[in-house]
Amino acid sequence: METEKLLSATLDIGEEMLISGAEVGRVEDSMRRMLSAYALQRVDVFTITSSIVVTVTDAEGKTLTQTRRIRGYSTDLDRLHALNGLSRRICEKKPPLSEMKSALAEILQNRPYPVLVQALAFAVIAGSFTLFFGGSAPEAAASALIGLLLKFVVLLMQKTGVNQVFANVVHSFFVSLLAFLCTAAGFGAQPDSIIIGNIMLLIPGIGMTNAIRDIISGDIIAGILRFCEAVVIALAIAAGYSIAALLCGRLLP
Amino acid sequence: MTYAVQLVTAFLGSLGFSVLFNVRRTKLLIAGFGGLLSWGVYLLLAQWLTEGPMLCFYASVCVSIYAEVFARVKKTPTTSFLVPGMIPLIPGGALYNTMQYAIAGNWAEFFPTAAYTLRVALALAAGIILISSVMRVAAAAAAAVRRRHTEPLQK
Repeated sequence: METEKLLSATLDIGEEMLISGAEVGRVEDSMRRMLSAYALQRVDVFTITSSIVVTVTDAEGKTLTQTRRIRGYSTDLDRLHALNGLSRRICEKKPPLSEMKSALAEILQNRPYPVLVQALAFAVIAGSFTLFFGGSAPEAAASALIGLLLKFVVLLMQKTGVNQVFANVVHSFFVSLLAFLCTAAGFGAQPDSIIIGNIMLLIPGIGMTNAIRDIISGDIIAGILRFCEAVVIALAIAAGYSIAALLCGRLLP
Repeated sequence: MTYAVQLVTAFLGSLGFSVLFNVRRTKLLIAGFGGLLSWGVYLLLAQWLTEGPMLCFYASVCVSIYAEVFARVKKTPTTSFLVPGMIPLIPGGALYNTMQYAIAGNWAEFFPTAAYTLRVALALAAGIILISSVMRVAAAAAAAVRRRHTEPLQK
């Protein structure tokens, strides 16, 4: 089997794992195991959240390096589950390259839930967290409705492919503006209760926790990257709120 | 009553995020119950403890054990149940408030809130790592016992 192609196929799997939300430690570990299974002399894998670098030395002493740049990720635990299974199967059975590739292609065909189901999930999450943080029933209803609409704004921003920071300013501006309008129209008393439910959909709380987790696990660069990303996105979300608040004349001096 | 509302919404919130994270079939319910469990532990221990981050640490330990167990039952990565289960605990609200204070220039409130956010994130991460490390050591010990008479580990 050609080392070059093997390396590339393994990187495809590692890349998808990282995009689906695997911790960098797991990606490094899986790739090292998969490549080591194919009798390579030496395997070095370095992964951060935005890139993977792998260098292998094959049985004849030839050294090869390939890298991947990862742009953005979206958590897909079903895909991660399948990729994990594939990686385990590769370590055990060392399938030929063609089989590796077709198995990966098959995994990539599995789609997330339909958009409408996701929009409903947005509504359920937003409504739930408004109640969770002490909001009233009408506020939760407003929050759920805004959450439902938010999904489509998120989709729209994804389609345009604008930068993450700007997209998050828009998301949070949208949510805050609608929340102010709802309470102004007498639907719910506290705009903040409505907003917090929707903020939970946007805020990178998991990212923040994973950042610290990476740092403790020894993947310090990856952790710092994730940490900075979480802070920047959280700032963007707060900024979107402030713009809406200014517009509505609510920001205190 | 407040507790009941919080437990139900913690479950629904975790369930909702599980859908967004594409968790499938029966795993969806297990993932949702992880959220109920983590918040239940939090509320229960809040009867005796007052420190938010410490409560989060214990809740994180419990939900990590829960995730490890069901990951083995369902033969799936621990993450499938860990991430949804953590949802009610994650410092999303605190992180948001921190940035609100930063933008408003309210530094007196900013620093304690930022510190709280970090402490919660640290507590959650510490709980996860504690359990995953214990599991790893246990797995390694079990493997070592099993492979006692076979070839030594590869370099």
